[in-house]
Amino acid sequence: MTIGIGGAGSKIAAKLDNGAVLVNVSETELNKVPGGGRRILASVHAARGQFKGSRMNPEIGHDAYQSIRRELLDMARGDMVFSSTGGGTGNGITTGILNDLTKANDIATADKTSFGLILPYAKLESSEFVNNTIEFLTEPLAAAIDSGNTGNIFLFSNKKKFEEKVSEEHYNQQLVESLRMFLAIPEKNDKYRLLDGHIDHEDFALFMSKPYFNHFTYFDYDPKKPFGDQLDASSNPYLLEPEAAIEALFLLEVPKGGDPTLFYDILQYFASKDVSPIYSVVENPDRQKPLVTVSLLYSRKPAELVDDFNRISEGHAQAKVKKSLDQWVELEKMEVNLEKEARRAVKQRGEGEEVLATLRRLGKL
Amino acid sequence: MGRELTTGDFDKLFELQTQRLGEAHFLVMYWAAQGEDLACRYNITNTFDDMKRLGITRTKQTAVAIVEALAALCFIEIREERNRKNIFITTYGAKALEALVLSGRFVPRASGYLEEHAKT
Repeated sequence: MTIGIGGAGSKIAAKLDNGAVLVNVSETELNKVPGGGRRILASVHAARGQFKGSRMNPEIGHDAYQSIRRELLDMARGDMVFSSTGGGTGNGITTGILNDLTKANDIATADKTSFGLILPYAKLESSEFVNNTIEFLTEPLAAAIDSGNTGNIFLFSNKKKFEEKVSEEHYNQQLVESLRMFLAIPEKNDKYRLLDGHIDHEDFALFMSKPYFNHFTYFDYDPKKPFGDQLDASSNPYLLEPEAAIEALFLLEVPKGGDPTLFYDILQYFASKDVSPIYSVVENPDRQKPLVTVSLLYSRKPAELVDDFNRISEGHAQAKVKKSLDQWVELEKMEVNLEKEARRAVKQRGEGEEVLATLRRLGKL
Repeated sequence: MGRELTTGDFDKLFELQTQRLGEAHFLVMYWAAQGEDLACRYNITNTFDDMKRLGITRTKQTAVAIVEALAALCFIEIREERNRKNIFITTYGAKALEALVLSGRFVPRASGYLEEHAKT
């Protein structure tokens, strides 16, 4: 099962899985998402019905999490959760899940939850999104990773969407198709003739249960060129750039009658990086050229990740200060005599004016 | 020896004293001034009757306490005249009443006794 939290998370989860469970604090937002399966409205204290979102405030999402906590934790077991890190609902509810996972004891491999986190493109998206992301990465995510209680974490980046000015619908579709390529690895092992190695569903689930960041990609493999160069040139544009891999997995699909020994060069590349990947080679009759799908597990501490966002956030803050300084207008100093103003007010009100007149008549003022 | 008091200290003291006055104090000073303006002696008994009528107090003791407090602050002067304790507002009292009027904290209310006197 797939779970989509908040607007961005729900849209991706619904595209990936027709039976995805979608969660939001706003009924309006929840009904806007096409596709997907069951919808869960997390309760917030709202006097006139829940039609508003979290307004970029993770506190609202986090409060709402309490109303669905048990159900959501149960559903998330062994599944994949999609959420943005910038918005209020996704950030708040996912923070709740991560905090609970951090506190949990001994989560079985099959029960580990993978996370697909959509990070804002800091250069162009709102400073609230960036600041929410910084808090999310430094606190709940960092703690959950340290606890070892999560599965793979996919850090999707909105960079390509903003730089290439792609519509959200199209971008999400591309992102989901890219993810499907990776998730299809065990099915392809079932479907196609195996030439070497093997990645079955259990191997794949074990790989997905490791608490590292996952960067996967796929490309036509040219055996005449070094694998490393091709890998570097083909990183997945929908994910953050990877760091040095700790573990790896790859599926090589060769055309019918293709060379089944091409994978040795790939293994050698990983050996040079001190990584022993799990792999399989299958014969895919639909392919004209060899295609390799690679996944790298890396451990980039959220603190380092945050540095990138911090730099942008600082830039935003400085720009705001500069703008307010530029817009600062020197106001003319107003001399206000409070007593005079009070007398004017008394006159306007009418009451009391008579008292003062009496005192003046008596010569006491 | 402590430091000598400055004009600022006296102003502050006056402000604090005025701030602590309630509606009953305000009305007593107001009625005293109005009585003087109408050339009518306004005494403690009249004060009690007016306060009782307006529901401010039901006991003469309270009325007396209010009047005495104002006298202690030198905001009114009580003169024994023909077995009556008549009330007169002082210049300090006038300043305090002015401050209360300007603050807008209280609204003047009519004295039954003075209204009756004005009709005659």
